[in-house]
Amino acid sequence: MAQLIIEKLTKRFGTSIGVEGLDLSVNEGELVALLGPSGCGKTTTLRMVAGFLPPTSGRVLFDREDVTQLPAYKRATGMVFQSYALFPHMSAADNVGFGLEMRGLNAAERKTKIEEALKLVRLSHLADRLPRQLSGGQQQRVALARALVINPRIFLLDEPLSNLDAKLRAEVRLEIRALQQRLGLTTLMVTHDREEALTMADRLVVMEGGRVRQIGTPQELYDSPVDAFVADFVGRCNILPGRRADERQFRTSGGLLLPVDVIGGERDDANAFALRPERIDIVPGDAGEVRGRVQAITYMGAQTEYVVAFGDETLVAVRPTPDAGEPLAALKPNDSVSLQWDRKVPRLVPQTSS
Amino acid sequence: MALLVVPACLLVLALLIGPMILMFRISLNQFSPTQLMMQALSPDNYIKAATDPYYQQIILATLGIALLCTLLTLILAFPAAYWLGRMESRWKSLVVIATLFPLLVGNVVRSAGWMALFARDGLLNTVLMKLGVVSAPLEIMYTTKAVIIGIIAVVLPYMILTLSAVIESIPRDLEYAAANLGASGARVFWRVILPLSGPGVAAGSILVFVLCMNTYATAVLLGGPRFKMMAPAVYDQFVRGNNWPMGAALAFMLLAVTMAFTVFGSVAFARKYRAG
Repeated sequence: MAQLIIEKLTKRFGTSIGVEGLDLSVNEGELVALLGPSGCGKTTTLRMVAGFLPPTSGRVLFDREDVTQLPAYKRATGMVFQSYALFPHMSAADNVGFGLEMRGLNAAERKTKIEEALKLVRLSHLADRLPRQLSGGQQQRVALARALVINPRIFLLDEPLSNLDAKLRAEVRLEIRALQQRLGLTTLMVTHDREEALTMADRLVVMEGGRVRQIGTPQELYDSPVDAFVADFVGRCNILPGRRADERQFRTSGGLLLPVDVIGGERDDANAFALRPERIDIVPGDAGEVRGRVQAITYMGAQTEYVVAFGDETLVAVRPTPDAGEPLAALKPNDSVSLQWDRKVPRLVPQTSS
Repeated sequence: MALLVVPACLLVLALLIGPMILMFRISLNQFSPTQLMMQALSPDNYIKAATDPYYQQIILATLGIALLCTLLTLILAFPAAYWLGRMESRWKSLVVIATLFPLLVGNVVRSAGWMALFARDGLLNTVLMKLGVVSAPLEIMYTTKAVIIGIIAVVLPYMILTLSAVIESIPRDLEYAAANLGASGARVFWRVILPLSGPGVAAGSILVFVLCMNTYATAVLLGGPRFKMMAPAVYDQFVRGNNWPMGAALAFMLLAVTMAFTVFGSVAFARKYRAG
């Protein structure tokens, strides 16, 4: 396994920007996820690392070796495609053996490695099946085995779970992560699914419009987003535009005063208040600092969501669903409530108009 | 719903099957130079077509030219079909129309164009001699070469369009996956693109082979009077020799050989495809 370094990587398609000046390093054995909406440049980046797409400028290095000009077939990356891209005319075993064959291994050597790889993904019993005779989850595991069997220098995952149903997805997510950690694979993953990114990655890169918005651990991005886009993209977030009133309060554009501790380090252009719904406490009655009226209550199983209105503005709070008898259980729309939170938790962030 | 195919079936029955039955009956008749067609029920014409070296030679030449043209067309069409199949430009439909454009010109007119190009003092020779590439004019006109070039020009669009439709349906990701696993461009072609183009290669080859076997105008105009293929030979029997029974028998020989090769090709291909 190798370290992956991306330097000032840029891709323009005519006049439109694919990726602009991306800097990133993925350490040995680390899983970094590129996260962003479609068209943010994450797939373009992955394709440049794999060598399918030549960059306009910038460099890609594997262990300090510049591979920018190296054709895809000489890069020894192992990629799992969103579509799996299994060869439909070859059996599972032949799919897995393809990369070994290209490396000149003889039939006997290939057989041993294919068996090992299929065992790794628990598909030994289906080696002779054609891809169309396998379920989506099984195809995915063949694709995984095929990418891993060649001992790739860099492991690449392109939305590897998006074609699986929700239940299977959670399972495969853990499986891939366990495999990646056990084998110490340097991995670059692309996803638009924040849950996937948060649960699998050591670090996340949030991209938008071809540019990096923020790089950090899932926790850093979740708790300390640099801007409203990141705050919103990595999880649900109340974002209220306005400006700081003083050291202890933020005034929304609707005139609402919200408690916040200015901890320093906020950006000068911070013009929005960001607070995650599960960080908000609800107290029935109107004794607190931030008083509003319940607009809607939505039961979501383990949790319940409360939309609280303050004039034209609303804040969403998510609490564990209360047991009967608890004060919150009796809450009805139009009741008066107070909201409270630890004033160190909200972030003041810039809200870019994009 | 089944009723919907009745008109088409009736048409085929009346205009294709009917005349064929009539033709088959004629092919069993006898020919006499004085009385022309005489009623009979004899396989003599078929025996003659199959054993007379003159006809054997025509059948073999037709078959050879058809097979060679099919192969050459396949080789020539593949790169263009790949390019067209992978094209993502908004001009794609225009390119498809451009590919079809030659078909708007009838075979006779097109062959006349080739004649002007290939003749001893034609455009090609004039240019080549002016440029000093050749010192004496090339003899292309009225050779097998001219016929092959002419036929390929006719059938190439069919092959390109058939192949490109299949290549288009091969996901691009398969090529990326193969490259990702260490396959160079040539190996991606041999191991992924070509095997998966199988149905297109089969369909295109059969289509083109049948067209080649039945070449008429190109063979007559570019091959000259001494060059013989089956379709012109059938015409000669009917019109020049007034020998309807022999012409009919030759027509059925042509049909039989074409069908035999088409069926044999499809079966062999299906078997290989299932195994591979």
